[in-house]
Amino acid sequence: MQVAIAEDSVLLREGLARLLGDAGFDVLGRCGDAEELRTLLRGRLPDVVIVDIRLPPTHSDEGLRAAVEIRAAHPEVGVLVLSQYVELGLAMKLLAESAEGVGYLLKDRISDVPDFLAAVRRVAAGGSAVDPIIVSTLLSRRRSDDPLERLTPREREVLELMAAGNSNQGIADRLVITLRAVEKYVSSIFGKLGLPATGSESRRVLAVLMFLRT
Amino acid sequence: MPTLSARPAVRVRRSVLLGGLAGLVLAAAAGGCLTLAAAGGIPAIHAALIVWMATSYSAAGLIAWRRRPANRFGPLMLLTGVATFATALWWADVVALRTVGQLCDLLPTVLILHLFLAFPTGRLTSRLERLLVGLGYVAAVGVQPVAIMLGSLGPDHPLLLIDAPEVGLALFDGELIVISVVSLAGVAQLVARRRAAGRPLRRSLGLLIDSFGLGLAMIAVMLVVGVFGGPSFPVVQRVSITVIGFAPIAFLAGLLGARLARTAVGDLVVELRAEPDDLRAPLARALGDPSLAVLYWLPQFASWTDQDGKPRELPTDPARATTLIERDGAPVAALIHDAALNDERELLDAVSAAAAIALETGRLQAELRAHVDELRGSRARVIAAGQQERQRLERNLHDGAQQRLIALSLDLAMLEASLDGDPAARTRLSQARDEIATSLAELRDVARGLHPAVLSAHGLDVALESLAARASVPVRLTVRLDGRLAEAVEVAAYYVVSESLANIGKHARATAATVSVAQADGQIVVEVRDNGRGGADTEGGSGLRGLADRVEALDGRLRVWTSSGSGTRVKAELPCR
Repeated sequence: MQVAIAEDSVLLREGLARLLGDAGFDVLGRCGDAEELRTLLRGRLPDVVIVDIRLPPTHSDEGLRAAVEIRAAHPEVGVLVLSQYVELGLAMKLLAESAEGVGYLLKDRISDVPDFLAAVRRVAAGGSAVDPIIVSTLLSRRRSDDPLERLTPREREVLELMAAGNSNQGIADRLVITLRAVEKYVSSIFGKLGLPATGSESRRVLAVLMFLRT
Repeated sequence: MPTLSARPAVRVRRSVLLGGLAGLVLAAAAGGCLTLAAAGGIPAIHAALIVWMATSYSAAGLIAWRRRPANRFGPLMLLTGVATFATALWWADVVALRTVGQLCDLLPTVLILHLFLAFPTGRLTSRLERLLVGLGYVAAVGVQPVAIMLGSLGPDHPLLLIDAPEVGLALFDGELIVISVVSLAGVAQLVARRRAAGRPLRRSLGLLIDSFGLGLAMIAVMLVVGVFGGPSFPVVQRVSITVIGFAPIAFLAGLLGARLARTAVGDLVVELRAEPDDLRAPLARALGDPSLAVLYWLPQFASWTDQDGKPRELPTDPARATTLIERDGAPVAALIHDAALNDERELLDAVSAAAAIALETGRLQAELRAHVDELRGSRARVIAAGQQERQRLERNLHDGAQQRLIALSLDLAMLEASLDGDPAARTRLSQARDEIATSLAELRDVARGLHPAVLSAHGLDVALESLAARASVPVRLTVRLDGRLAEAVEVAAYYVVSESLANIGKHARATAATVSVAQADGQIVVEVRDNGRGGADTEGGSGLRGLADRVEALDGRLRVWTSSGSGTRVKAELPCR
């Protein structure tokens, strides 16, 4: 699996490259700003690009713009956006078109190596990854007449993993239950929240986020 | 008291005496002319019109001279009247007198041009005007004797040198044409001057300049008709003389207007008693000058300002004059008015005296406003400097400590993976990573508290979406903006929402909130409402006070409505230019 990295902190960039190299990824290129990344992609296309949201020269939204651009120009390339802050507004912006092949994680997650590598692989394969902090923030607030109260604790766990972009198999592995059990939980959750069942695991990420946001 | 009242009485008696004398002289001149006309067989109506014109210019000239002795306009006008009387000598039987009348024939027309162009100072100001008037005098005074010497008035004339009547008459026609051309040029000059004024003319001034223009046009028409002859000449001449004779009346009306204006000082005093906010309008009315401007001198700022305390310069335009109002030798205010008002010194003095106290109050108000502006400016600068500093700190955290901790955590993770056995060491490493994760979460909160990086990078809508997501109650958010705003406005709007949502979480016991941001009429309106128990602390809380500071520093307004049971509503209006 081939990967390109755009990250302006040398320390992190090299750390990431080493981590991914050790895990068997082929690091096609690494660079410090969005312009270099564009040049890099004019050559060979990797399976996934890992891009820091805050890149030179202005350290504002260069990374995000590069990510949106790459998604539009090369739908087959997954884009995983890393940031020191995770914002719902940006998640919605990134996922707005389609959650397929899109990830948005806190930089902190890099050191949860197995989870992080799983997220990179998922995004490279066209799946999605949404930082769990977004889902937990949305779940933590009080509501009157809260449909979430009808969920069992187990269903809540499944909902959180689902909203973070995990596949049914991923959830099954994580919770050490059968795939069949996960499917049952998922359809029960969708029923209780009144959400239409959706085939794609990526599309349901957006549906759940939209539901939680309101 | 007796001595005080005696002096004006003497003055009145003297001016009555002088006036009477002048009237007698004028009456004698008029009577003389009419007698000459009757004896010479001149049509009575023609004679009456000439006398009318001569008398009106002489009388108006005398009055103007008396009222404004320093101004040359009055004497010039009197001279015009006298020259007109002199033309009537043509009707005399005595050859010498008649010759004087003939030599003066065209002089009044040029004097009138001179007079009108020299208004209001009595002096010609531009080179073009001097050229026009000079050409006129050459034709009327220089060429006329030559034409007569060549026989323009017949072969029997005592001044005749060479009998060449064709040449003489051609010269005379030439004089008429030159004078009518310079008169028309004079009309153009008056029109141009009126245009150039570019601001409302004082009352009666516009009328006066129009009557001057009309008079000059009539002179041109009369002379042209004279050149080409025709039976209509006497009619045109009479109409023209009548019209030209009205110009001094219009001028006198202006003078009288100035006199009447002094009664306006009385009205001014009454108006000022009501302590109006705007002193300019009543002063402009009293002075009859709609273009009036009032400036105040603020010694602390060493600057002239308008009534709002905004710095202004005294004008340098020569058409504008400045009258200083002083108190104890120090300037208080300045009236900027039409330069023509300088001729009405007494009116200016009366108005200045009547308004002195009101102007002093106006000055204090202007000073207060200037101070408020200054404070507002410095508050905005203090807040902007604080914001910049926070932004710098957030950036340092982001690029420094946060980045290093993440890299460190990654190193530890890889170290942990490379340690095969030794579960104790792995556990310790894992704990260390958990510690780092907690530190990072705390640092993230600190950084966000310092400055919401997402706001400067991605705009208000994205930043508010995240605020709403983190709120303790569900928030219905509507943001309607046309693109990005000035950073200070975005930051203020962000803090209004963030502080209000935080208050809702802490005190309101609400179950829902709405946040709306809309842009209309050059301002951003931010509104946060909740359905809680209300009773928010609008005075004691430093949070709301700090918000109000931020909003007001941007010339905006923050209002809070709160009543127990019906929730709290916070509304901020922020100008965005």
